[in-house]
Amino acid sequence: MLWYKGWLETRWRLVFSLGIMVFFLAVFYWIGIKGPPPKRIGDALGGVNVSVLWIGAMLAGAGINTQPGFQATRGTHGSTYFTLSLPVSRFRLLLVRSSLGWLLYTGVVIAFCCGYWAVFPPLRAAATGIEMVEYTGMLIGYGSAFYFASVFMGTFLDDLWRVWGSIIAWFGLSGLFYFSPLPPSVNIFQAVQANSPLAVHAMPWAALGVAAVMAVGFFWAASRVVRVREY
Amino acid sequence: MIDGVIETTQLCKTFKGHAALRGLNLRVPEGSIFGFLGRNGAGKTTTIKLLMGLLHADGGSARVFGTPVTVADGAIEIRRRIGFVSEDKELYPYMTVGQVIRFTRPFFPKWRKDLERRYLEMFELPQTRKVADLSKGMRSKLMLLLTMSRGAELLILDEPTDGLDPAATEDVLRELAGITAEGTTVFFSSHQLAEVELIADHIGIIDRGKLIVSGALDDLKARYQRLQVVFADAVHSPAQWVEGVEHVRQDGRMLSILASRNVDEIADQARSLPGSSVERYPVTLKEIFLEHVRSN
Repeated sequence: MLWYKGWLETRWRLVFSLGIMVFFLAVFYWIGIKGPPPKRIGDALGGVNVSVLWIGAMLAGAGINTQPGFQATRGTHGSTYFTLSLPVSRFRLLLVRSSLGWLLYTGVVIAFCCGYWAVFPPLRAAATGIEMVEYTGMLIGYGSAFYFASVFMGTFLDDLWRVWGSIIAWFGLSGLFYFSPLPPSVNIFQAVQANSPLAVHAMPWAALGVAAVMAVGFFWAASRVVRVREY
Repeated sequence: MIDGVIETTQLCKTFKGHAALRGLNLRVPEGSIFGFLGRNGAGKTTTIKLLMGLLHADGGSARVFGTPVTVADGAIEIRRRIGFVSEDKELYPYMTVGQVIRFTRPFFPKWRKDLERRYLEMFELPQTRKVADLSKGMRSKLMLLLTMSRGAELLILDEPTDGLDPAATEDVLRELAGITAEGTTVFFSSHQLAEVELIADHIGIIDRGKLIVSGALDDLKARYQRLQVVFADAVHSPAQWVEGVEHVRQDGRMLSILASRNVDEIADQARSLPGSSVERYPVTLKEIFLEHVRSN
């Protein structure tokens, strides 16, 4: 039943996300049919990069949104107390809610990439189908890192700070990757833009590994916070 | 058999330097209807949230069914045996009445479908209407349905009749009284002293985070009495009253004395005053409550 509740809570956001996705795809379709042929691969990927920013924001928002499902913070009100009075551990609430959110938005990412491949001929001319699959995988990994960062933020931040905390985390991580001496191969931002499989025709495994470690790490940290607060 | 379904010892909770609970010692007997009274901010809701595991205590201990509420696995089992109504009575606004019921039912193996049907009919709850579209009173009714249909051994209710009209309040109080006849313990907070007096058999009064009165309501009402001393001419007061006088109020040639013990001795002392005649009256729960919270 927790899955059912999660679905009811998420479905309209999913519809909203799909609506934005359809808008992006319609724009790309129009550019692909009417626009001039791209001179460089970068021109074809420019739109993808814009989409990546949208997907990052969407996933962060999805992560933020999971918070009322499992945590009572100082500003808690509404139905959270009813949820927490059920004979279910907070960890299970966290697991179900964050898994559902991740699955739904991963579905949106896959649908977006499939749609993008289908409606934007310049992309098909610039990359192979396998590279598009690799790119989709990298995009999911990149988004997962931010999604679970937001889930983690939701375990201890109240109300408005949850949103600001996630935005600051996004900028903080991007700053860390761009301005630290870390090698470009582990930069998860570059791995979905300039160093993506579509641009360099190679899977950025190191960056995918970093993204996966970040996602698992943030989820582990979130579960630790929830377990500490568990009664 | 557990004697006290709820037991707290020196329970403490502080919010940003403000002590909401200051060593609360509470014991709720099994099968009782326990009215938990206190002024706004006295610590009632904090106590309830601590018992439900919604907050962490800063000190002391709390046990429900003999199990510490701080043990994670134990707390889940405790919640399976408890029906809970929160102060704000908020439910999922995006669900319909029917969906909320279907969502809640599987969590409680002893769910009473007969009671569910009964309350749906009694409260006239439209199953297809969204929770967001329900009035506050209807939301309270739905919350009570979800709580009382659980087949719970203990009901913890924070202001259960808040928002209900007099007729619905009457129905709910009658149902609560009926539920305890089946062995369920009811622990509820309320500001409606007349309601508490109507159904509670035990009461606890909390003030500034401490329990200042606790016991069987009949015992308390038997113990407390008001003595009215009328003087023929001027009022005479003794240098010191016998122990047990809680409050003395003078009104013209009359003294009104609230006594909590040694009532016979106090009455004798009053009779010994020159020109006095003494009458004894029973007191209401409201008088006991007001006397204690004002003098604390």
